[in-house]
Amino acid sequence: MNESPRIEGLLRRIRREIGRRRAEYYGLRGAFWGAVAGVVVLLAKHAVGGAAAWAAAALVILGAVAGIGYGAARRVARGDAARVADRAFGLDDRVATTLEWAERADRTRLVDSLVADTVARVEALELKRVVGRVVPREGRLLAVPVLACLVLAITPPIPMPSGRLPDFLPSGEEEREERVSSSMLEETSRPTAKDPLKRPSLEERDFAQRAGGSGATTTGDLSAIFKDTSLASQRPDFNSFMKKGDERLRMLEQVDRLPDLQSDFTSSQYKMVYRKSKALTGGLRPDQISPQKLRELLEEMERLGRKGGGNWSGDAMEGMEALEGGQPDRALDAMQKALDKMRAMDEAQRSGKGLRGGRDNDRSGRGRDRARGDGVGPEDQDFGEGEGLMPGRGRSGSPKGEATQRLRASPYDVGVEGESRRGRKDGYDTNLTGRGGSMASRLQYLGVIGQYRKAMEDAITREQVPRDFHDQIRSYFQALDER
Amino acid sequence: MNRDARVEAFVAAFEALRAEVEKVIVGHHEVITHVLIGMFAGGHVLLEGVPGLGKTLLIKTLSEGLELSFSRIQFTPDLMPADIIGTNIIVEDADGRKHFQFQHGPIFAHILLADEINRATPKTQSALLEGMQEGAVTVGGASRPLPAPFFVLATQNPIEMEGTYPLPEAQLDRFLFKLRVRYPALDELNAIIDRTTQSRPATVSRVLSGPAVLSFRELIREVPIASHVRDFASAIVMATHPQWEQAPEVARRFVRYGASPRAAQALVLGAKVRALAEGRYNVSVEDIKALAAPALRHRVILNFEGEAEGVDTDTLVARVLDNTEAATAQGREPFLR
Repeated sequence: MNESPRIEGLLRRIRREIGRRRAEYYGLRGAFWGAVAGVVVLLAKHAVGGAAAWAAAALVILGAVAGIGYGAARRVARGDAARVADRAFGLDDRVATTLEWAERADRTRLVDSLVADTVARVEALELKRVVGRVVPREGRLLAVPVLACLVLAITPPIPMPSGRLPDFLPSGEEEREERVSSSMLEETSRPTAKDPLKRPSLEERDFAQRAGGSGATTTGDLSAIFKDTSLASQRPDFNSFMKKGDERLRMLEQVDRLPDLQSDFTSSQYKMVYRKSKALTGGLRPDQISPQKLRELLEEMERLGRKGGGNWSGDAMEGMEALEGGQPDRALDAMQKALDKMRAMDEAQRSGKGLRGGRDNDRSGRGRDRARGDGVGPEDQDFGEGEGLMPGRGRSGSPKGEATQRLRASPYDVGVEGESRRGRKDGYDTNLTGRGGSMASRLQYLGVIGQYRKAMEDAITREQVPRDFHDQIRSYFQALDER
Repeated sequence: MNRDARVEAFVAAFEALRAEVEKVIVGHHEVITHVLIGMFAGGHVLLEGVPGLGKTLLIKTLSEGLELSFSRIQFTPDLMPADIIGTNIIVEDADGRKHFQFQHGPIFAHILLADEINRATPKTQSALLEGMQEGAVTVGGASRPLPAPFFVLATQNPIEMEGTYPLPEAQLDRFLFKLRVRYPALDELNAIIDRTTQSRPATVSRVLSGPAVLSFRELIREVPIASHVRDFASAIVMATHPQWEQAPEVARRFVRYGASPRAAQALVLGAKVRALAEGRYNVSVEDIKALAAPALRHRVILNFEGEAEGVDTDTLVARVLDNTEAATAQGREPFLR
């Protein structure tokens, strides 16, 4: 801009001033970091040698010079200088606006007045130093590294650390230390007996290694928990539960690893065959049943009998022969017999013999232990069949509750609603009179009697029924049976 | 007349008009200045204050100091748009033939006093929208220009909210400034008593004509503004937007909608008038800062948190201003930039 050498002079002066302040600012910062580098060099005086002090001093000077050079080299924009001038001299942005508008093509006539006004005001200014000094944070802390440099320069060099720690022990002790440390290393490298991070309930090996457990179970097969006789025979005890919890309950937390109880215990061969037979014969007379499908079913039953050692293979064969002879009635009766035998075998398996197979061994083992004087605590006491400890009640006859499952296990409990079993009925309909008289009974008399007889036997065994009454009760049920 | 003389004339006219108003109005120096700035900038001004502070008197006095037509509309809930704009009525000429004739409403005046504007329904309030922005109104399909200069001065009462209709944002945005009329100080109150209880009220002289106002408006638009001052005005307006990445925390927390571009126009135009009124040929940062509150306080819409916290828009604008100044080149050491 050529309007006023005075304005140019003002801007030059301010730019120089800004450059000087920048040089100071960055010079202080450079000196600080140079001094820090000097401290590092002096710390390594042992390695560097006598030149360290000179090198440190050179670094401080070099840092300061570099900072000054950087600050001075930074360009100061005219606009910045103009704004500084406006603020410093209270010119209300006249200089900055003048600089910007004076050379614009679209300048208005009012800009001429602005320029003239600005020039007049600048010429009337009493110039002063307008840019204040700003001390950086490094400048305020500069004394610290400089003093550290001085102290390190006059103190003897610090020995550099060697590769190993200094030898503070006599030679004999060192050897012993090494031995001890090596034994400690062995100790730590030995596999821990129990992983502290692993929840005890998740340690599967416990069940595979337990005495009495099935050797066929593999690690991770949690069905072993339920087949494990030691666990199966474990008596519920409230006190021990309070102390260490119930391991079986903890196992139930591992939902994804639980055995498939449905497939293991509910889908038996009998049920599968029974369902097929019901699907085949449901609602049809014998002459309406497909001989082909009946033959297939009988073949399957015969195969299962041969494979599983069942005693119904003969009945199945007899049924197949009857079918070949065109006697579907006989074939159906034979199939029914075979089914009854399958059910009886299934019931025998479901009655808990399989699960409790090892219990006798375990109990006898415990008995041996007790005979040796071991395991005399309340948890190690032996109990009779169906007995155990009841929390707070001591010895109890029915610690596991009533055996409701056994009622369903009766061979006569099969009744399909709205359909009575074919052939001769072995029992009496229980609702022959009244509104339900026209309908067939859903429960067979003998089945009901059988269930009640079982309940009676349980009651006599477990509950406090006077011994003198036992025969009388049994006689009563015997009389019912004879009807 | 050279430029300096025109500026001198503007300064003289500005001061004369202010002196005439101050013959009647005691105190409110800043309000009077801002009303005059708004008028010379070509905008409209909304005055807000409790009853009895002289809002209506200020506007009436201003109209008396100007050789311009003046209309006053007392806004009421049953006021209709046709009552403001006018309507076509059937008239019979000398030959007995009937035809429609437009009956001008009170909006056809240079200075329009919309007294207690928030007492009319939004429908009626909106009748002013076109006139305030376009300088014309459309009636019966015909656009009718309003006289120039056209200047709306509205008043509203901030405390009597019963039976009032807050101005829509679009209407508010059309006011260049929103001025808050404060209660007078003790000595000002004494002066009010002395002046208003005298036997002869003060007479106001007409010191400015309509064409003079228009020529001054042209002069004002010639005032140069430096880019850093313009940037500062833009940054202030942007800083009221909570979505802006550099918006200060106070805006992010309390503002729902920031100021519109009209706010930036109002800032710069008002700053030009203020600069020229002070005899300066350029806009300074101080001009922008002085007019930030009048130009922004009605354009910043608080969110629920701001309303619930009772945030004052003036305080918010002040904090936005401080933040913007610190964030821009204005607040930094020159040699560290």
